[in-house]
Amino acid sequence: MPEFTCQLKQYRVAKGLTQEQLAELVHVRRETIMRLEKAQYNPSLKLAIDISRVVDQPIEKLFIFD
Amino acid sequence: MNRKSMTRWLIAGGLVLAVMLASCAYSVLYNESRWVAPMDLSTYQFRIQDLPMLIAVPLFAVYILALGFRLFQAARRQRLQGQPGYTRHLDPRMGLFGLFGFLGFLGFWTYTTQRVIFPFFFFIFFGFFGFYYEGKLSDTLADEMFEEHRLKAQLKAYKIGMSLIFLMLWLVGFGLFSQQLDYVAIYLTIGISLAYAVTVFMSEYLLYRYERQE
Repeated sequence: MPEFTCQLKQYRVAKGLTQEQLAELVHVRRETIMRLEKAQYNPSLKLAIDISRVVDQPIEKLFIFD
Repeated sequence: MNRKSMTRWLIAGGLVLAVMLASCAYSVLYNESRWVAPMDLSTYQFRIQDLPMLIAVPLFAVYILALGFRLFQAARRQRLQGQPGYTRHLDPRMGLFGLFGFLGFLGFWTYTTQRVIFPFFFFIFFGFFGFYYEGKLSDTLADEMFEEHRLKAQLKAYKIGMSLIFLMLWLVGFGLFSQQLDYVAIYLTIGISLAYAVTVFMSEYLLYRYERQE
């Protein structure tokens, strides 16, 4: 799996969303968001786009690949 | 498949099963067990008493085929909608069905007394221990991470199962039990049943491990 840094947590918190709420909005489980934020799970393009739309940030700001 | 449609299918299934059982009972009681016990079809002559079984058997077959088709359609529709579904609800205690695997040991007795080896096949039921882990993941939202874990677990389990089968075939190929064909049949029945059981169990166990990150 390619190494990456995930900045999702700071943008999610800035948006005032909990992991649970974000998970519900993008139709995944809270565990998936949790692992995403720890950069332990590499999301599909669809999920990355869905998340970027919810937090109003471009994908490249949320997931920074080395 | 919604609840209403599922209820209709269950009622239909109950009716078909009732027709089948009633036909079997009629045949056993009033028609010399024709179409229930094995019979020589080359000398078959139609009797009016055969009608219940001749109706019940195709009806049962049509029901099974239609149900399979309907389930396939429902699964396909869910996939096309792109919405993740939930894993089925299962009690982890169902894993106890894995104990039926011990019935496989009956094979040693049936082989020595009657030279019958088919009970060795029951070792396959050890795979039911996997229900324990499947039950623990009951009603989980099967999102993309879950699906990825499921595929990873299945792939690893298949690799393990195929490696076991390869090892068994390799040993037979190099002459294990070559003087006793009966033993080869027993060895392969046990071996392939156990390899299948291991594959079924491991795919559930590994999925649980990946999900819980242990």
